[in-house]
Amino acid sequence: MKRVFLNECKMNIRTFLIWSLVVGGLGFFCITLYESMQGDMENMADAFSKMGAFSDAFGMSTLSIATIEGFFATEVGTVHGLGSAMFAAILAIGILSKEEEGHSGEFLFSLPLSRKKVLAAKGLCVFAALLGFTLVCTALYIAGFAFLGEELPVKEFALFMSGQFLMNVEIAAVCFAISALSGKNRMGLGIGIALIFYLYDIIGRVVPDLKDYIFVGPFSYANASEIFSGAEIRTAAVVIGIAVALLAAVSAFVCYERRDLAA
Amino acid sequence: MGYAIEIEKLTKNYGKARGVEDVSLKVAEGDIFGFIGPNGAGKSTTIRSMLGFLKFDQGKITILGMDSVKDHEKILAEVGYMPSEAWFYNSMKVSEVIAYAAAVRRKDCRKEAEMLCERLKLDTNKRIKELSLGNRKKVSIVCAMQHKPKLFIFDEPTSGLDPLIQKRFFELINEYVDQGTTCLLSTHVLSEVNKYCRNAAIMREGRLMMLDSHEIDDDTFLSYYEEDES
Repeated sequence: MKRVFLNECKMNIRTFLIWSLVVGGLGFFCITLYESMQGDMENMADAFSKMGAFSDAFGMSTLSIATIEGFFATEVGTVHGLGSAMFAAILAIGILSKEEEGHSGEFLFSLPLSRKKVLAAKGLCVFAALLGFTLVCTALYIAGFAFLGEELPVKEFALFMSGQFLMNVEIAAVCFAISALSGKNRMGLGIGIALIFYLYDIIGRVVPDLKDYIFVGPFSYANASEIFSGAEIRTAAVVIGIAVALLAAVSAFVCYERRDLAA
Repeated sequence: MGYAIEIEKLTKNYGKARGVEDVSLKVAEGDIFGFIGPNGAGKSTTIRSMLGFLKFDQGKITILGMDSVKDHEKILAEVGYMPSEAWFYNSMKVSEVIAYAAAVRRKDCRKEAEMLCERLKLDTNKRIKELSLGNRKKVSIVCAMQHKPKLFIFDEPTSGLDPLIQKRFFELINEYVDQGTTCLLSTHVLSEVNKYCRNAAIMREGRLMMLDSHEIDDDTFLSYYEEDES
């Protein structure tokens, strides 16, 4: 199992580096832009905060984008949220199905390993990649704050990055379960799932009648604007997130154990 | 004499499509057993059921005295399998694939692998994506043989191999069989059955029939295929 895990990590290292450096680098770049845009932001912040549902959706009614916290939450929060969700989905949705699509499954599954062990090794690889992704981005965002000489709001920042990590794990678990069911790499579906979760959260924040239901989606407990404005994260949202991730992971094991593997 | 493979009343259906039906087969230890039949007859389904790739509907499969479902991992540790289409991870080098297979088996197979690569003229520095079908088959042979298994399961192993490598491949099989290995050889090549196999069975339309002799003439051999088309 250890060898499969290491081999899987090795095969995914390029994807991991590209995504973590691109998303983290974009976040770093956004942070460093703050100083040069600060003057203009002060004029724009007031206007942005009075755009009704749009301001609510992107958190600009509660946070001023003229502050570094507000700027980080609205700009980097969106970039990191979308980027990390897509990385999690793309990585997880292909990790099992690629064996059947690429016909390497007959080689892998002829080795003395149970399907459970293969699944566990691949699941651990996804988890490790998401953890590594979060750590790389965290380091780059901290570097951005240090570059500007701004104080990092440690508590909110830690909550945001932890929430994002859990959100990534939840999305990855859902895609992992789909990968266990499908003999083909459904990358498009993975990206679609990440975007649907994101849109669900945005629509829920724009449409007043849906506001009470956004806690079901994974983006709800990792919303940067809410976290940086000090709003309390609903425990139910986190519990649902963990439950969905566990249920999806268990489903992946049960389905993969029972189904025929394509040649 | 014990049996390396014992299949009792194996049935596997793919929804409404036919897989195999009521297949029973015994392969004695030390045998080179020819498994012939037209495309889609159920040879690969039988083999893939033996290896646990497919979940069969009915029947019982015993490999090397072990239950194919309960002792799945233990069986795979003692089996060398070569699929009909040899696919690996494109980005890996040949040497990495061979070392990976040995590492998962927790065996130091370097000496055996080196001997096999030399005899099969396999360049281990190339990447899988650079290899032809024949060369990928050679990698598959090394992965199936390097751990000196008790049972070989080969599914159309010689397609894509040049005549010299085919000859060396069968020399290797005979050498391992002389040391106690058993070989199940699924093939469409009559000469392979006649020359190398000691017993044979034919699979047609999902059913298995043992042959009285492995020495079959061309007309009889082709009749198995023609009748299937009618």
